[in-house]
Amino acid sequence: MPGEPAKKQRRGEYQVSLEENEGKLPQKKFYRQRAHANPFSDHSLTYPKCPEEMDWASYYPAYAVQNQDEQKQEQRTESESHDQHPVPPEDAPSKAISKPVEIADIGCGFGGLLFALAPKFPDTLILGMEIRTSVTSYVQDKVRALRAQNTSTSSFQNVSCIRANTMKFLPNFFSKAQLSKIFLCFPDPHFKQRKHKARIVSYTLNSEYAYVLKPGGMVYTITDVKDLHEWMVGHLEKHPSFERVKDEELESDACVEIMRQETEEGKKVERNKGEKFVAVFRRMKDPPWP
Amino acid sequence: MNFPYQCLEACNRSTGDRNEWLLFGGCGSDLVIQSSSGESSVWPPQKDESDVVDEPQEPPGKKIKLSPSNERTSTFACLKVSNDKKHVVAITSEDKYIRVFKIDSKCRLQQLSERCMARRPCALALTPDDETILCADKFGDVYALPLIAPADDGQNGTEPGEATDTAPQKEFSPAASILTVHSGSNRKVLEEQMKQASKGKVKTKEPLKFKHDLLLGHVSMLTDIAFTTVDGKGYILTADRDEHIRISRGPPQAHIIERFCQGHDEFVSRLCLTASGLLVSGGGDPDLLIWDWMKSRLLQKVCIRNAISAHLKGQAHLTTRVPEDEDTFKIAVSGIWHKPDSQQEDSFLVACEGIPALVYVKLGPQVLLETIGLKGNALDVSFIQLSDSTWTVVVSVDNVHNPGSTTEVREDELDAELDWFDRRAPAMTRNAQSRDAGTGGETGGGSSRRVDEKAVRNVLYGIENLRKRAGGDEQE
Repeated sequence: MPGEPAKKQRRGEYQVSLEENEGKLPQKKFYRQRAHANPFSDHSLTYPKCPEEMDWASYYPAYAVQNQDEQKQEQRTESESHDQHPVPPEDAPSKAISKPVEIADIGCGFGGLLFALAPKFPDTLILGMEIRTSVTSYVQDKVRALRAQNTSTSSFQNVSCIRANTMKFLPNFFSKAQLSKIFLCFPDPHFKQRKHKARIVSYTLNSEYAYVLKPGGMVYTITDVKDLHEWMVGHLEKHPSFERVKDEELESDACVEIMRQETEEGKKVERNKGEKFVAVFRRMKDPPWP
Repeated sequence: MNFPYQCLEACNRSTGDRNEWLLFGGCGSDLVIQSSSGESSVWPPQKDESDVVDEPQEPPGKKIKLSPSNERTSTFACLKVSNDKKHVVAITSEDKYIRVFKIDSKCRLQQLSERCMARRPCALALTPDDETILCADKFGDVYALPLIAPADDGQNGTEPGEATDTAPQKEFSPAASILTVHSGSNRKVLEEQMKQASKGKVKTKEPLKFKHDLLLGHVSMLTDIAFTTVDGKGYILTADRDEHIRISRGPPQAHIIERFCQGHDEFVSRLCLTASGLLVSGGGDPDLLIWDWMKSRLLQKVCIRNAISAHLKGQAHLTTRVPEDEDTFKIAVSGIWHKPDSQQEDSFLVACEGIPALVYVKLGPQVLLETIGLKGNALDVSFIQLSDSTWTVVVSVDNVHNPGSTTEVREDELDAELDWFDRRAPAMTRNAQSRDAGTGGETGGGSSRRVDEKAVRNVLYGIENLRKRAGGDEQE
């Protein structure tokens, strides 16, 4: 494509200038990327073999487990329950953090929701997950800048972003019943009928959301595409692990308002005076075996 | 050159006071059956009589997708005998059919049903009560189908467990409004839809006209499925190309994921449950992984790659198959079979794609690994019980390609496509060599199946292709 090398060069130069200035917020125009990704292709993703192998400390350095002994202790108790992973050698840098991630924004885009949620849940670790490389870099650069700007208050230490294909690898990052909230904001509608399995909500994929969510945990969905809204509602309602949260209950939920106002797409829809459709579901307790 | 037996299955049954074994072999698009009493038959029946026999067996009201039936080229990919030994369930790949056959007392096969799935099935499991077929497909989904299709199947268009995506759209309405925020390509799709709307009805895929419930799905290609019962609770184990082994509850709670067994670095291609209930999984890794799957606990890794490379290097004509740097030697597990005669010990046989040997593994404080050389690449394995204490292993070998290769066509004629072994614990010694299954091969009624080598390769060797290539497309 003509113009490609120039673009690459501009972005490269921009990265250098950004690195020189720690607290400088990144500009979106240097990170734009095509809106669609094929969730079925292999990409060149990096992902941990299992949640215990995830290097969380590099994403949430303020929560890194410092004390080596303490860490080993923790790993040992961990090992007793799972035990598939040997305790790392003593000189290995700590990968563990003191508390698990509890909120995931799947398809976080440029991270509008993340940065709005972070101050609302200062003691909860929030993770954005995005399949597009440069969009992920934008959020990561913004996290770095915001942390640098707020060293005195340690704000934004609880928010981070990784590149991931969650449709394939969600259970590689989170263990059973780890999360309390999952956000699915303005997902790719995949209009073509034959691409419907690429949608982020489907009956079969909902089982994975149920797996990583605690009983009582929530799935938040929002879209401006009515067809997709009905699809998501239909597939979540059909799944026995989820029940829809009533509209009255949503009024008191701050997350819904943030989701409507703070996401990039949410703002765009607002400017276009379009409609926004919200549906929230609660993960129920598993029934006893039949 | 004949088509090799790409899949095998065997069972022992007693009819009246007679005990016999039956051996089934998928040979290209033929299903060959042979019994110890000397009876044998081939399905589909030979061409001249096929018109008479085929049609009336269809369940009433069933709509058949008419493919030119005497030119059927779809190959058998998987065979499974029901627990009561009365039926065989088969997958034929290219036409995406699940076929159920009744085995009669004279060792003939009568096709009871053929159900065309939406996506190509790749593995089968049966529930212990033989009521339900679990079918895993290339698109990552698992469906439950009744073994015996109910009489009114076909008229019954409702699909309770099915996702709405197959429901035909009654009236067209575009998926989004003009107020929707769009990317360029979404806008294009929407415009297409608008255009289509002005032309009239949208063509949607015909929904499947038989009972089939969607149980679970991975966003990946499924490679194997197993069903087992522990303390009265049913479990479905599924393996995929993205290194996952998922443990779900059995129906009617198959939507609940109990746990994952995570530890593979490459695709998982085969699952096998041992006598004591351990799970053995293999795929593109050098090791087999041994699991206490009820606790997601990895107990052991058994490196079979080194056993195989040692075996190859020990044979003059195979030495070159192992690269200089042995660490770059890759294997792809194509089969793991638990030995049925070992109730007390966990022992099994393993085959890898394009390897003219089987690996015998016996677990224990000291893992026993032994390779058994073959005259051609191992394709499938089955076990036949000859008497209370003797079992024979039947191995189908590739007679088309050179041993150790999945691409070079062999020059020599292999005298038989099946290799038989006796088992003498703990080692396995070759006994009667190279007996043919009678009806297979030469006696196939003059229909000399000259085979297209490339077609054979595609049928036999698809597992190594599951391996991910470095540097996937970033932008896609």
